[in-house]
Amino acid sequence: MELWQLPAWKIAEEVRRGNLSASQAVESHIRRMESLEPSINAIITPMPEEARKRALAIDEALSKGADLPLAGVPVAVKDLLCTKGVRTTCGSRVLGEWKPPYSATVVRYLEESGAVVIGKANMDEFAMGSSTEQSAFGATSNPWDVSRVPGGSSGGSAAAVAAGYAPIALGSDTGGSIRQPAALCGVYGLKPTYGLVSRWGLIAYASSLDQVGPFSRDLADLALALEVISAYDPLDSTCVPGSRPRYRDALKAHDLKGQRIGFLKGYQDFDMDDEVKEKFALALRICQEGGAEMVEVSLPVSTGYGLPCYYIVAPAEASSNLARYDGVQYGLSEEGKSILELYLKTRGKGFGNEVKRRILVGTYVLSSGYYDAYYLVAQKVRRLIADEFTAAFSAVDALITPTSPTLAFKKGEKLDDPIQMYMSDLFTLPVNLAGLPAISMNVGYSKAGLPVGVQIVAPRWGETEILKVASVLTDAVGSPKVAMGGEG
Amino acid sequence: MAVSEADVRRVALLARLEVTDEEARSLTEHFGKILEHFHRLQELELSGVDPFSLEGPGTPWRVDEAKPWDGRDEILSEAPRREGDFFVVPRIVEEE
Repeated sequence: MELWQLPAWKIAEEVRRGNLSASQAVESHIRRMESLEPSINAIITPMPEEARKRALAIDEALSKGADLPLAGVPVAVKDLLCTKGVRTTCGSRVLGEWKPPYSATVVRYLEESGAVVIGKANMDEFAMGSSTEQSAFGATSNPWDVSRVPGGSSGGSAAAVAAGYAPIALGSDTGGSIRQPAALCGVYGLKPTYGLVSRWGLIAYASSLDQVGPFSRDLADLALALEVISAYDPLDSTCVPGSRPRYRDALKAHDLKGQRIGFLKGYQDFDMDDEVKEKFALALRICQEGGAEMVEVSLPVSTGYGLPCYYIVAPAEASSNLARYDGVQYGLSEEGKSILELYLKTRGKGFGNEVKRRILVGTYVLSSGYYDAYYLVAQKVRRLIADEFTAAFSAVDALITPTSPTLAFKKGEKLDDPIQMYMSDLFTLPVNLAGLPAISMNVGYSKAGLPVGVQIVAPRWGETEILKVASVLTDAVGSPKVAMGGEG
Repeated sequence: MAVSEADVRRVALLARLEVTDEEARSLTEHFGKILEHFHRLQELELSGVDPFSLEGPGTPWRVDEAKPWDGRDEILSEAPRREGDFFVVPRIVEEE
């Protein structure tokens, strides 16, 4: 067994006991990363030298008696989380070689727990995309079949964990950007309740939807990572004060007796890959055999109208958030004879196609004469979606759905058809619109060896409930395997 | 609803985005399809529905006070054009 195959909790335990040094653990993962990067491209900025230095510092701190829950654990962080002094690109040309003057709170929390950042993970530019093909730094490949996409927008983080670069990675999820790549890469990915995790130092896409969350190949690692990153942070005014549960305790659940789990009425009729349907049916059987009462629920507004609602709300917020990239204070800056020319050229050259598309859509739906017809309508539909989930959760403790309607698709397949690409997030988008927590976890592999994920959704602050269901499913299907990074 | 290339160029200017001729063509095509998709929302009965706002545990008010930041030079050093402690931009106010 190589060190890069170990779960994070095991690495931390061995490092704390002195059976293994943080440097050894980090070195093994750096070699794994360096051997697979030429074919995967999951990392925009590798940080081997910084990581080696941090590992030495951790070994030193441990020798002086420091208590570090993630001692020596290598992590990858999505490149929209600021890292002090290390280039942070958000997958875009517009930030140039910008080096943030501070680290995101979640990065600081990881480092204070003894984790070591080994690289900044690739992503769709400004987190806009479902395939990690819209990165200014080239597409990431799915480590289960390099001709396919890893999902997105946190595709680099998901691929890095699936391929064994790191047992834990951080991503962000605005409409499915953690869960859909987790499903396509066959790992765990959790999108926390809106307000649970600090977003200070997260480069904003759509502020009423964005959340930071962890990826892992081991459920205990996921719970541990969530405990570390979810501590209250006064620097983020949307972060809700108070203590968080010890999430690992939820993993003691080995049955679902007394639990009511909802599933979508008529899910067989949704446009989905057959193998996704099969594995979803398997997950339902496992829950039932685990003692859960299975309840059919109907979410017609969420499934029927969530997509257009999201693609009004999110671009509207993005058009405002991305106004700050103007070439004056940092990042790319083109020459202009007037300030207007400087703005137009800098933004025209700095942003890629999908980002331009969403800035335009967002500007349009907020512009004079269209606000009521689009943005206000979308905010009302969002109300209906949130109410629909509230009603569903009066009858069930958790909901289970497929994560993505399809398996990992071929690179280039959906690039010219934005609506088809957006369909990838049909089941994940409504969860963000309602501010709920949800996980995607692997429940098996297709005949061709591609991972299949299911999504578990709970009411706000229901992370513990989600982890219980995930624990019972994991007992039945096993933990995800490490991907070897080859052809399918 | 049909969207013209002129509409796209008007919105692009509002958003301070320079678009090439080719981009304007492809954005116009996609923009039309996306707006068409939005019109599905009109099927819903929305009279009397309040716009969304998040409920549940809120975030506390805090005192609005300035706090010292010791990374001033690191921020200024990222400026594309700088003179001393100032960001430099093209002339904004025209001479009389």
